[in-house]
Amino acid sequence: MIHLENVSKVYPNGTEALNNITLDIGKGEFVFIVGPSGAGKSTFLKLLIREEKATFGKLSVNGRDLINIKKRKIPYLRRTMGIVFQDFRLIDKMTVFDNVAFAMRAIGEPEKSIKKRVGTVLKIVGLEGTENRRPRELSGGEQQRVSLARALVNRPEILIADEPTGNIDPELSFEIMKMLVAVNRRGTTVIVVTHEHELVRKFGGRVIRIAEGELDSDYFISTKYNPQKPAPKPAGDESAAPPDDDDKQQTDGSAEKPEQNGSSDKEGGQQ
Amino acid sequence: MSFSSILYLIKEGFRNIYNHRMMSLASVVVLVSCLIITGSAALISVNVNSIISSIGDEDQITVYLKPELSDLDSIKLGPELSALRNVDSYKYRSRDDVLKDYKKSLGDDIFEAMQGKGNPFGNEYKLKLRDLSKYNETAALIQKMDGVDTVSDRSDVAGKLTKLNYFVTVVGLWVVLVLAVVTLFIISNTIKMTMYSRRFEISIMKSVGATNTFIRIPFIIEAMVIGLASGLISSAVILSLYEPVRGAAAGVISMIGPATQTAEQIWLPTLLVMSAIGMAIGLSGAVISMVRYLNKEGGAILGK
Repeated sequence: MIHLENVSKVYPNGTEALNNITLDIGKGEFVFIVGPSGAGKSTFLKLLIREEKATFGKLSVNGRDLINIKKRKIPYLRRTMGIVFQDFRLIDKMTVFDNVAFAMRAIGEPEKSIKKRVGTVLKIVGLEGTENRRPRELSGGEQQRVSLARALVNRPEILIADEPTGNIDPELSFEIMKMLVAVNRRGTTVIVVTHEHELVRKFGGRVIRIAEGELDSDYFISTKYNPQKPAPKPAGDESAAPPDDDDKQQTDGSAEKPEQNGSSDKEGGQQ
Repeated sequence: MSFSSILYLIKEGFRNIYNHRMMSLASVVVLVSCLIITGSAALISVNVNSIISSIGDEDQITVYLKPELSDLDSIKLGPELSALRNVDSYKYRSRDDVLKDYKKSLGDDIFEAMQGKGNPFGNEYKLKLRDLSKYNETAALIQKMDGVDTVSDRSDVAGKLTKLNYFVTVVGLWVVLVLAVVTLFIISNTIKMTMYSRRFEISIMKSVGATNTFIRIPFIIEAMVIGLASGLISSAVILSLYEPVRGAAAGVISMIGPATQTAEQIWLPTLLVMSAIGMAIGLSGAVISMVRYLNKEGGAILGK
């Protein structure tokens, strides 16, 4: 589903944000992207949503070549994705309903299906009955759930969550993560960028660690949430064993070396 | 695009205007000022042209024959005049006809004593010219003929009006150009401000896959509505002042009255042209600011 081959990104000011990244993310995987600040995690996401173009290498998402994609085709690529932002990005002057509906209106969906689908998705994220409330009347966790509902309402194949729990307290973070796992179980590929090792340990799954713009490690943590879903082996990375830091620690499962060629779909896991 | 999307985008355009009503009002005021000046210059030009062409319609020159020239000699002069290349046709008017005309316009009493041999006027010819621009040339030829006293001279008025029209057109064009640039600047800033204040929404729209066209439409609607409103307001101002100004000008120079366009003749073209110009300026301003914004800062989604 997502294929990076020797991808590098150098910004016009000379900053080398990513260097020679090679990895595959299969359909239906649950992946954490971790690493210190400035490691290149955000650039990685920007490449995936084609906010930035890779300087070198090959990059494809859902079969679309993101290096040679035409500008006018980019919106259609993004329609296959949902994005959850750290700062929620909710529009204060709109109600909860309109915030979620906004994502559908922005791609020209008819009002009839908007009404139907927004109601359903709000139910999924547990916000039924809050349709007419304003974001400021909600807690941080609820606001992030609205943001999640907005990301889900267009039925994305890939859900990208950029530090989704960065602005909410630990208890609510847990709730948000549980929802992301639930979304993943419905078949959506979920990519979560986070700094919170505790959540990674708790929820497990494939963990890709980026450090100084390079793929530092790619391993799998098995937990009760992600019981048996090993990550694919990143191509060209022989030292993909978990590093000796917090990220590789296990909770109730074990850290595994990545296996060949991302066979996660076939192995069930969260499906 | 579905019907509900179109409605949604139109609504968004009007919402933009309402949310930035002060800036929208400023844009309308500047654009109205620009359009009033543009429209006035255009109407002056149209009317000067109209006066010139009315002179052109009266492309006749009067050849006054010497009073002592006999009627027979006067009549003989007719074919000679028509032989001139620039003379299209001619009409003979006897001294009695001329006197009748004066009596008609100035009253019978004064001319009572001038009947018969007391008539001081000579016979005359009204000539229709083929090309008014060769007026001086033709007049000089006629002037040389025997029995011709004087030839009426209208070339001076035509020349002055042509110069005035040129002046109005050139000055008007520069004024319009300068004001158009100022207006474009103001409108593009209004749209840029609107886009900046909605950058959050724009980034969300981009993140969910809205096309640039979809994102642009409300801003285009906003700019065009501002342009249209300005066009209508400036047309209303110009049309309400047109007849009083025309009447005042006709009071000073009598030929302005019949030769110029009436409000009835100009209201529809004025309304349509001004509205179209207003919308075109609005649209251009919006396009300038949007292309730059969406290609640069407005392209960010994650924005870190």
